[in-house]
Parts: sequence; structure tokens; C-alpha cells
Amino acid sequence: MREGAFITLTNGFKDKLFRLAKRLLVSNEEAEDATQEVLLKLWKNKSKMAEYKNVEAFAMTMTKNYCYDKLKAKETGNLKIVHSNYKDEQPSLQRQVEARDSLDWVGKIMDNLPEQQRMIIQLRDIEQYNNPEIAEMLGINETAVRVALSRGRKKIREALLKKHNYGVV
Amino acid sequence: MELSNIEKLLEKYFEGETTISEEKELKVYFTRETVPAHLERYKDLFQFFSQESTITATKDLKLNTRRKTRYAWVGVAASVALIAGIFLTNQPTKPDKNLGTYEDPEIALQETKKILNMVSQYMNEGKQELVYLKEFENTKNKFIK
Repeated sequence: MREGAFITLTNGFKDKLFRLAKRLLVSNEEAEDATQEVLLKLWKNKSKMAEYKNVEAFAMTMTKNYCYDKLKAKETGNLKIVHSNYKDEQPSLQRQVEARDSLDWVGKIMDNLPEQQRMIIQLRDIEQYNNPEIAEMLGINETAVRVALSRGRKKIREALLKKHNYGVV
Repeated sequence: MELSNIEKLLEKYFEGETTISEEKELKVYFTRETVPAHLERYKDLFQFFSQESTITATKDLKLNTRRKTRYAWVGVAASVALIAGIFLTNQPTKPDKNLGTYEDPEIALQETKKILNMVSQYMNEGKQELVYLKEFENTKNKFIK
């Protein structure tokens, strides 16, 4: 496969990989690195590409595994850094406006979900994959996908309700 | 779409039983301007989902790995050739086996004598020049006694 063909093929799902990585790793930079890493790995093994049933699903699985590795490495390290998007303690006016932005709340609520639920909601509600596809990507069965999806959505609903009533998460 | 219908869909949605197309309907519904007050909080959720799906990676992928490795091998080949060249052309010349050894001791003696004679002859020639040094000595003795 030539470079050009590879790039057109991967451009179709490159952003999806990035968004999944960002959902799991939170940091923008780390998500960028993860995307690059996965695509380069795919490029190196391009000779095997024809054997894959679904390159996109395969790439998503690779991204998931890569991110899990990264998260695990972070956990075992003595210094625990949650993510590197450090924010100014004294927010500018723009930041304050942004913080009030209720869409940000949803993002924050999502970041508090367990990794698997977070990932499944990302794949289903944002990327609009269907359950069989998600099950294949994550290597779990469809029932588990549906259950995790329902649990995650309900958790978000609860948190949204709290926030709506008391203004806190 | 009817409100009761939306509420039913929402219920199904939280049970994880909606289809993709039903979820799309919900998304379309909640991105509209006006939504009943009791459903207002779900607006954020569905708007968040639509907003998140527009995020894109900014870094461009660079795949020039193949070219890089090809040039790397050229470099390796060049250095090997260079080193091989140095060692092959600069091979030390083998020492001459013929050291002028004589088998017969008689001839060897004569030859050695000849060489020693030659050396002493040159020595004597060289020493003749040193006679002048005696003049210095004489002159010095004239003044310093």
C-alpha cells in the first residue's frame, strides 16, 4: 500500500481515534501522541492490513489498548499526575464564562465515569457505532456493552439532575 | 415530534435500548431552540455529544519512515566501504625475507671485515676535520695560562 492510499484510508477514522484517546487520557497532547503512535504502528504492519476484517475497528481497539497501557503506567508511577492540561488558578473572564458553560459540565461528568463506560458512551453517543461494532472493538459481548451503556447514561443523568438542582456535581 | 414520544424515547435511551436512528432523532430534537422546561437538562447532554463529534486531531501524520530507513542503509554502506577501503589500500608491506644472510662463515667474515673497514675509513676521514680544533686549544693556551 502506498503512502497516499494509507493516509486517505486513515483520515476517515483518524479523528475518531483522537477523540477516543482524548476521552480516556484527557490531555490533548497525550491524545495526539496516542493517535500518531497507533497510526504509525498500523503503517508498519501495512503488509498484514488485508487480513484485517475491519481496519477501523482494529485501529480503535489498538487505541483503546494503547490508552490503557498509558493509564496503567501512570498509576504505577510514584508521582500521580492526573493530566497535563494545567489550568491557571485565577481564571480569566473567558475561562469563567466557559466554566459556566453547561456543556463543560457534561464533559466533567463524563470524565468521572469508569473507563469502560466512558469509552462505550464515547463510541456510541458521539461516534455512533452500533453495539456489535463496539463489542468487537472492546472485546466484550453485546449484552455487556448495552448494560455498561445504560449504567453510564443513568449516571450522567443523575449527575445532571444534581447539578440542575443544586448547581454542583 | 410529540412530547410523549420523546419522553418514551428518553426512557428507552437510558435503558440502552434505543437504536442509532432513534438516538439521532433525540439529538435533532434536543438541538432545537425550545425544549420544555423539564427536559431542559437533557439539552446539554445531546448538545455535548454533537459538539464532541466535531473535535479533530491537529497534528499531521508523517509517514516518511520508509525513506528514512533507506537513506540510513546508504549511510551504513558508505561507512563500511570507507573503512574497508582504508584497510585494504593501507595494508602494511610485508617485510623483505632477504636479509643478506651468508651461508658460508668464511665469506661472512670477509664481508663483515669489509664493512668494518669501510666504517673505520669513514671515521678516520671524519676525524681529520677535527684537527682544526687543536688550533683553538693552542690559541686559548696563549692567553689563558
